Amino acid sequence: MTSLAMARTQLRVMLKLNKAIAYSHGLRLGSLDGYERLIAGIYGTPDRVPVIAQPYTYAMGMHGLSAKAFFSEPKPFIHASWNMARYFGVDFWSPVFDFYNIELEALGQRLIWRERSEPDVDTSDPLVKSEGDLARLRPPRPGLDGRMPFVLESYRRYLELMGVPPMAYACSPFTMAVLVRGYVNFVRDMRRNPAFAHRLLDFLSMEVVTPWISKMVEVTNAAIVVMSDAWASQPNVTTDMVREFCLPYIEKIVRATNSPLRTVLDTGSWGERAVADPREVLDIKMEMMTRGNALPALRPLFLLVWNEDYEEIGVSTARRYADERKVCLMLNLRPDLIESGPPEAIAEKVRNLVKEGAGTGRFTLLINLVPVGTPPEHVHAAVAAARQFGSYPIAPDLEGRTFRMPEFTPFAEWVQKEGLPV
Amino acid sequence: MGWEDELRQAVSEGDEVKADEIAARALEEGASPKEVLEKGAVAGIYEAGRLWQEGTYFLPDIILATEAYKLVMKRIEPLLASGEVTYKGKVVMGSVEGDAHDIGKNIVVALLRSASYQVIDLGVDVPLPEFVAQARELEADVLGMGAYMTTTMRGMAEVMRLLEEAGLRNGVKVIVGGAAVTREYAESIGADGYADNAAEAVELVDRLLGVV
Repeated sequence: MTSLAMARTQLRVMLKLNKAIAYSHGLRLGSLDGYERLIAGIYGTPDRVPVIAQPYTYAMGMHGLSAKAFFSEPKPFIHASWNMARYFGVDFWSPVFDFYNIELEALGQRLIWRERSEPDVDTSDPLVKSEGDLARLRPPRPGLDGRMPFVLESYRRYLELMGVPPMAYACSPFTMAVLVRGYVNFVRDMRRNPAFAHRLLDFLSMEVVTPWISKMVEVTNAAIVVMSDAWASQPNVTTDMVREFCLPYIEKIVRATNSPLRTVLDTGSWGERAVADPREVLDIKMEMMTRGNALPALRPLFLLVWNEDYEEIGVSTARRYADERKVCLMLNLRPDLIESGPPEAIAEKVRNLVKEGAGTGRFTLLINLVPVGTPPEHVHAAVAAARQFGSYPIAPDLEGRTFRMPEFTPFAEWVQKEGLPV
Repeated sequence: MGWEDELRQAVSEGDEVKADEIAARALEEGASPKEVLEKGAVAGIYEAGRLWQEGTYFLPDIILATEAYKLVMKRIEPLLASGEVTYKGKVVMGSVEGDAHDIGKNIVVALLRSASYQVIDLGVDVPLPEFVAQARELEADVLGMGAYMTTTMRGMAEVMRLLEEAGLRNGVKVIVGGAAVTREYAESIGADGYADNAAEAVELVDRLLGVV
């Protein structure tokens, strides 16, 4: 990206941020677009609950694309994802690929490719089988190795289409260490050979993740960079392990890559239901987001709690915690409910999430995964329900309101008229 | 401390190298494979399970204990005479097609083995018809399926259908589990049982086979 283009993007984003933040605090300078709604929802009260989506494999399935094409060719990936997000009218979408694999593949890790689902790390053949293997690893050339060029070109296309930078994704060093060693081996390292575990984490943090984030930022000028950390979850690892082996490396990366206008954070873990006091995990999650970020109160932070957890601990517990910490609560919609439906049940779920979670703002709904083959009316129902029930201030008589299923054009027809070619 | 206590401790503490050394030494000194199994390895995994249940151990501790148990078993299994060990039942188990996750399954497998079940571990990413074929060929009492992603969980319903189609459904108990699976889902596909964790899985199998 040229410095002029970069400055233009930055200015556009700044204007949107200012408008959204002003709106979220009661100063209305016009209506919000989807991006602004998300920002307003992160900082305060938007006009209605923002719905964001990760098109992912559902977009792939809707277009009949193979996993190989979707996860390695920028044009079909971005166009199919754009079509899906646009068709359902979500407020914001992220170009989400198999973000746990990119750096690993560039390091030389073998992946298993399947026709209709995302590629997976071949856990039967981890890259670092022994301590000696670490010395043989060569850091990837950021943006050049593996599918890194695919990611950068996809982001460039996203920026061109949307006019705002994407939320950029990286794999956290902790999760990468688990994948590169295998879970059992890395647990053993942490317990029996912590010095090696730290050496591995240091290499992954400073030689792999940091240069990759810097490269993504150089290309996209992303305002938010998310390191995903599914393996830093309970009960798979203890909170003590996260404190010793995860948090310090997040901090190192964040300090090396963030800026006053760029927030780099770590999220995606889960496990509130797996511990006696869910606050223990919520505290860890807050640290994963704030470590290394100066002035966290000004940062676009979101506390993501997954359905498996909020269904156990209660949405109200998560809401209370987010209020105490003055942070946006993000809840996903249960993928199997979206898949199985019916639309009325989905709408009812959205109504309950809004009722218990939306409060007076700082709340976002996430459609993180729609299983391939899900009837489109199920997704339409979720988005429509968020619109019908999610207007601020949230109606006190929400339960008495009737859900109206929206009319919609079949996807094939819509894509022919308004979609992008894949 | 005798080898029994040393082995029990090494297994429960998840020190697989030490556990294997003690097992080898005990065999050399004349202990029978069955004694090494029951007084050392099984006792160790039981101890780890107890510490987990009481909240002293966390999942990583159990993982390391099961690894130590597996290593000892690898050494003594070929030495066990046919019929020397009696099993409470035969369990065939795997992660369903498309799913490469196996942590939870591995723990269930280890705890079932330590509870005297013969467990045939089909591994991960098991093609759906393979569950049915193996259940038939091995005359399984229990068929266990794990799914850790919502996208792969649906394969369980297909296995249930295939079992019906093959006329095997009445002859085998089906249990399901894994991060993506819920009790409601298990009921909806007609599984015989669902377990939320590995210890519960052992209790479930005991109950289904009427051995408690």
